[in-house]
Amino acid sequence: MNLRRFLKLPPSPVENSLQARVFVFLGFVVASVAVAIYGQDYVVPAAGVVVAAIGHVVSYRGRNKRRRLAGQILVAGLVMAALAYFLADSVLAIFGGILPQANFAILYLAAVFAWDYPFGILVALWAICLAGFWMTSHLRRIDAKVAGPIRPLALALAGALALGVIAFVFIPQPTALSPTPLVVSLPSFTSFQGEMENPALPLVQISGDPSGATNSIDLRFRGRLGDAPVMYVRTGAPAYWRGLVFDTYQGGQWTASNRSFVTFQPYIQPRSLPPAPKHNLGTFAQVFRVVRTLPGVISAAYPIQSLYAPVSALRRDAYGTFRTPDVLRPGQTYSVVSYLPNLSPQELQSDPLLPGNPENNPEYLNAQNLSPRAHQLAAHAVAGHTDTEFDQVMALTTYLQTNFRYSLQLGQAPPGLDPVDWFLFDAKIGYCEQFATAETLMLRSLGIPARLATGYSTGDYNPVLNESIVREHDAHAWVEVWFSGHGWVPVDPSPGFAALAATQFPNRWAAAGLASLIPHLSIGAPLAALGSLGILAAIPPAVAIALLVVVVWAWFRTRRWGRGVRAAPGESELLRLYENVQRRLKRRRAPPETPLEYQRAARGGPIEPLLDELTEAVNQGAYAGRWPGSERVRELEKRLR
Amino acid sequence: MSSADREPVLVPRRAAELLARIEENVHRVIVGKDKVVRLAATGLVAGGHVLLQDLPGTGKTLLARALATSVGGAFRRIQCTPDLLPSDITGSSVFNQKDLTFQFIPGPVFANIVLADEVNRATPRTQSALLEAMGEGQVTVEGVTRPLERPFFVVATQNPTEFHGTYPLPESQLDRFILAAEMGPPTDDEAMEVLARREHGDPIADLRAVVSLAEVIELQDACLKVVAAPAIRTYIVSLLHAIRLRQEVLLPASMRSGVYLQRAAQAWALFEGRDFVLPDDIKLLALPVLSHRLGMRGRFKAADVVEEVVASLPLPPLRQH
Repeated sequence: MNLRRFLKLPPSPVENSLQARVFVFLGFVVASVAVAIYGQDYVVPAAGVVVAAIGHVVSYRGRNKRRRLAGQILVAGLVMAALAYFLADSVLAIFGGILPQANFAILYLAAVFAWDYPFGILVALWAICLAGFWMTSHLRRIDAKVAGPIRPLALALAGALALGVIAFVFIPQPTALSPTPLVVSLPSFTSFQGEMENPALPLVQISGDPSGATNSIDLRFRGRLGDAPVMYVRTGAPAYWRGLVFDTYQGGQWTASNRSFVTFQPYIQPRSLPPAPKHNLGTFAQVFRVVRTLPGVISAAYPIQSLYAPVSALRRDAYGTFRTPDVLRPGQTYSVVSYLPNLSPQELQSDPLLPGNPENNPEYLNAQNLSPRAHQLAAHAVAGHTDTEFDQVMALTTYLQTNFRYSLQLGQAPPGLDPVDWFLFDAKIGYCEQFATAETLMLRSLGIPARLATGYSTGDYNPVLNESIVREHDAHAWVEVWFSGHGWVPVDPSPGFAALAATQFPNRWAAAGLASLIPHLSIGAPLAALGSLGILAAIPPAVAIALLVVVVWAWFRTRRWGRGVRAAPGESELLRLYENVQRRLKRRRAPPETPLEYQRAARGGPIEPLLDELTEAVNQGAYAGRWPGSERVRELEKRLR
Repeated sequence: MSSADREPVLVPRRAAELLARIEENVHRVIVGKDKVVRLAATGLVAGGHVLLQDLPGTGKTLLARALATSVGGAFRRIQCTPDLLPSDITGSSVFNQKDLTFQFIPGPVFANIVLADEVNRATPRTQSALLEAMGEGQVTVEGVTRPLERPFFVVATQNPTEFHGTYPLPESQLDRFILAAEMGPPTDDEAMEVLARREHGDPIADLRAVVSLAEVIELQDACLKVVAAPAIRTYIVSLLHAIRLRQEVLLPASMRSGVYLQRAAQAWALFEGRDFVLPDDIKLLALPVLSHRLGMRGRFKAADVVEEVVASLPLPPLRQH
């Protein structure tokens, strides 16, 4: 106290606004949630929230109490320690790549660029808390009444909703994809939510080599697949994300016959890879962000033009699939540019079926493990459609799609019976793997080279955001058929999927065109990376402009033009005290009520003499311009206690 | 720095004391009616004119006389009748045969306090003769303008119930009165007190002046020095505006009524020893100052509208900066 007087420091104002304190606390809670989600630590954030809550309550209750020297030193010490920790952490973190002092725009861009929407939401919430604290605290202090322009705000909101609905209705959705432009993907903390059990997919069997990539797929073995996202994909076109490919089927198990590898640098330039296929329509980029531990397989749209993955080295197996040395960990990203060949039915119709093994691999035509009745079934299915290879493939695919049922509830194949045979003639229901296996073998029996491809289907694709969320249950298996003029063509016999699973550029003609105006992503170009945000890039400036408008508007509201007078020293204090007394009396002064009328109405309370003096002081101030000095107000305040 | 150093203005405390003296003196004759008495005195201090309206025999004339006597100065009474001529009020020139000149004989309006009794019985022409005197503080007779002596205070009375053979005051003339007050019926106690006082004579005969004319002028000057804060002005303007917005009101309150309201409130503040106006003053004076000049639709009563508006109109914020 004396020191303050000696230094002529102004008394720090007491933060009386409960809302402002609530905003501060909520900001802390948001930060704690962020730590809990990203730090994977629940105990420390929870304890922090509890301690902060207690601290806030104590601080609010004792805000008008005079602190003793020891208490003051304690609080100041805590504040200084926190500040010192923050500064030290910032300085040390410059070289560690984490920059707490980076501004929110960069943080936001980083979050959005990484498709980490929960983090983007957390940042936005945090900013809202910050702005809320600033607004309520400041407005409270200057005693301003804020009445928002309700009608314009409501109109803007209604207009935005209407526009959103119209956009939702008119933006074309790619076929065979669920029309869900709004995909809320919250982190899934439970172990299993889905119902599908699938044996074959790399996600489940993290075994085999150190990368976790499996060597085989067993149709009799079953894994579990949930709803949790495994990766976010920003992509120029919705495609199947192909992983491992298998060519040999024996006794219900798929394996790859060729185990040879070619090693590459992490960045594979286009010239290191096969040239563009014939009838190439263009290229499109994909950036994958892994959110769950995945086997070291680069899932991407094939054929690949170029590839970058932040790993020590890449290996390409004999089937064109790239693999990483280690498992893909949450947070890892890799970028792929893929060709988009023209695989339309008209194109494929013209391909003749040539005899011989593609790529000199006899396994592609090996149908020995298919029972004779299955051979007959294949011949029966394509009967009447034997003009071209494409016709046969489509006939068989349609046959499987229409005559067999897709179900996730699948019983166990009886021992001793081939799972494909059991599927085709006994169960007649199955999931992607049964369909794909059956189709592959039946095509081979017809003399058409085919192989089994696994990976993920497109996932929840959002054409506006150019983004796809791939979940565990999007794991998929399909068939790749050899066409002499076009190479391996994806075909999907599972009911509910497009038979010809070739990638197509999304048909953008409405609002999605907005996104395509912005240059597309290419690897390593920051501007293009910004462009890949699409219309999301407009959000930070929009938020900034909105905040600016609100601030300017509040400033205009609270400022008196042309006067240039500042409040008399005792004015704010006196009026705040007057408010406090009203609160204490549990009766607010009605708007038409004069201070004298209020005094008469509130007469009889324990603080009557104080109220009389206060009313006189308020009248003198408000109507004679004679505001009391701060000392006098403090004296009255003391008597209130 | 303050104006008190430059010229001798009544400090509010002394003004309050003077006014208390007047009130006390009037109350020797008038029993009760504190508010009406104070309103009448407010009219005097504010430099305006007062209209008293009520039934006959409620003490209107008595109040005017008591007030005039308390103040000292010349007091004249005009009993208005239909055959009263303007020159009967203002005075006229008479040929003096001794020195062969026209000599101006001042009428009753040349006084400090004028009681215009039953003012609505005079013809409009005569009424309007009063108008210039009340409005301008001067009288023009035969082309010569003669100023009236300060203070000049007109108390007019009228009987609001009897309209036979009357000429109701036009709005323009009603607007000249700073306030209109009603005496109201006495309570039983007051009536008994009145009878008791009259048992052995009329107390008004013993009434003496307690305040000099100079002191009245001092009071009027002090009234002008009373502070009406910006918030008060805001309040008055919003009050007039709110009344104007009412559906029942045909003829809204004029700007002059706002000026009068502020002036009356300044005078009222002096009675309580204040040198600033409170919103309470405005609330209290809104009815007597405003209600008589509002033109109403149909059968609506101006007093009701004013009371409703005053009760519901929010005060301007206490914060000034």
